[in-house]
Amino acid sequence: MARETKSADAKLSHTAALILHAVDAGFVYGFGIMEMTGLPSGTVYPAMRRLERDELIRSHWERQSIADAEQRPPRKYYKLTPAGKTTLEASRKRYPLLERLIPSEEARSV
Amino acid sequence: MTPASMPLFHFFDQCLLRAASLVVPARRRAEWRREWQSELWHVRRTCAPGGCISWAAEQQVMSFCLGAFQDALCLRSQGMQMRLPRPTKQGTAVQCFFALVGVLFACYAMALLLPGVRAERDLMVGQVNPGLVMIQNAGYSDGLSPSIRPKQYRTWKGRKQQYFDGFAFYRVESDSVIQDSASASSNASGWGVAHASANLFVLLGLPLRYADSDRDAGDSLPSLILSEAMWTREFAANPHVTGSVVRVGNRTARIAGVAPNGFWKLPGKVDAWLLEPEPESAAGAGYVVAHLTPAGEAEMWTQCVHITAYGPDDSEDDLLGVSIEDYRPGPWSIYLFALLLALLALPAITSVSLGESSVSPQRTSWSRRLNRWSFLCVKVALLLPIVYFASLDMAYAFTTPYSNASAYIQLAATFGMCLFGLRWVLRDQRQRCPVCLRLVEHPAQVGQASRTFLAWNGTELMCMDGHTLLHVPGIPTSWFGAQRWLYLDTSWDFLFAGPGVGIESGEAIG
Repeated sequence: MARETKSADAKLSHTAALILHAVDAGFVYGFGIMEMTGLPSGTVYPAMRRLERDELIRSHWERQSIADAEQRPPRKYYKLTPAGKTTLEASRKRYPLLERLIPSEEARSV
Repeated sequence: MTPASMPLFHFFDQCLLRAASLVVPARRRAEWRREWQSELWHVRRTCAPGGCISWAAEQQVMSFCLGAFQDALCLRSQGMQMRLPRPTKQGTAVQCFFALVGVLFACYAMALLLPGVRAERDLMVGQVNPGLVMIQNAGYSDGLSPSIRPKQYRTWKGRKQQYFDGFAFYRVESDSVIQDSASASSNASGWGVAHASANLFVLLGLPLRYADSDRDAGDSLPSLILSEAMWTREFAANPHVTGSVVRVGNRTARIAGVAPNGFWKLPGKVDAWLLEPEPESAAGAGYVVAHLTPAGEAEMWTQCVHITAYGPDDSEDDLLGVSIEDYRPGPWSIYLFALLLALLALPAITSVSLGESSVSPQRTSWSRRLNRWSFLCVKVALLLPIVYFASLDMAYAFTTPYSNASAYIQLAATFGMCLFGLRWVLRDQRQRCPVCLRLVEHPAQVGQASRTFLAWNGTELMCMDGHTLLHVPGIPTSWFGAQRWLYLDTSWDFLFAGPGVGIESGEAIG
């Protein structure tokens, strides 16, 4: 519980907030986030490691059967945790332009 | 750029990822590599759709791969932070190593200080000439009783021998020694004096201290060699004692030197040696030392050989020739013998298995196995000299040097320490995490003994670095007969994370 409180209070850097926002917007794997944010791999992946360490995002492997059906290797997907959502809300207030940079999943589907 | 160059670029990208993966902590390496391989596949498909090859696309792919190094470094720094803060080095391989080295130095230092051990060391240094045998009557198998008459000795010496090229005789008597010099602290006492043939010391090849090299060749007085103990006690270790005239029993002799401590391995407690040209015929039985010819050495293929000799009246004497090198086993021989006994007895008191079985054998890489075996070898290599010096300390701390009691104490001590020391080495090795070689801790009883045949029960121990769990069955069964290691993956890390790990308030992420 103490950890969640700290996570919510944590101040994200702009890059971390951008990546968190990208994950929330449906860009759920590393290369997708790179394409959306324009950040290099050497920035995106380490930032995601830290976010995962701090339990703001969590990862899971795609099922092998799905990857086999599409004849590609399985991917590792990322999604926001409840603590991540809370932190993202806080960081949106700090960085109001985030939503303009990366449109949300709902906005893109319209 | 040609299509033929594509496998080359692909290979180069793979090499980059593989090199970066070496930076990642070993436990997370496989998953990390899997993720990057997968991402690389998608990057390549996006940058070079349909297998189109361009220099720009390959540059993009390569820059993507170079980012793997930053990611790997990030994971490494996280791994360092996730380690439990260790207040002490308790239970680590390093602590075990330094503890053993400390014990070894302590035992060695004590061995240097104990006079008995020093005397035994002198004994080991003072080796006699090779090819020497002690000849004794076959009826006296103990080898300690004098059994050869002077007449027999003179007969053998006078005959041409095929197997021997030198003989020396000695017999031990208690004599009074009277010394006129003022340097003597006492002038009469019952000494154990070996009345020996003049060539005894030459035959044995033993050096003398303070030997009288300026002695007149025409001097007809027999020589007296003092033992170092007697020289110290009776002559106050006077280095100028050589050349002094003393009376030994009813004979006059001149002191010719001092025999260093520990060199005398032959039977008889001797304080001084009176070297005479020929032993008296009427004297009692004594001991004969003989030097073997090459033909004799060829026949001497065991430490003891039967000899048939013809006596003065052509009677056949049944004799034994015992190699002097093996006549009284030194500490090293006793140690090796006891070590062999302990190795033979070891399987009776503990399992000699190292408990390497694991439910995921692919996790035990060759480097970990090499580390584990190296650590085992180091422990054994340190234990063996510890046992040697400790057994010497125990044997010679309270007993006189060269006594049978010290030999028996050393034998028993070496056997016991080797046996239980090796048992400890194996048990300790079985309880060390195969990854970090730290002792597993916090034993927890799992299951119920009454349900042995229905479910597993036994003890579970944990590596405090979060690498492994050790399951030791309470009662070995056909399906769980020996201990097993369970390797923990990264999902267990949070259990072992230090209290300081996490987001501090105000800390910026990313």
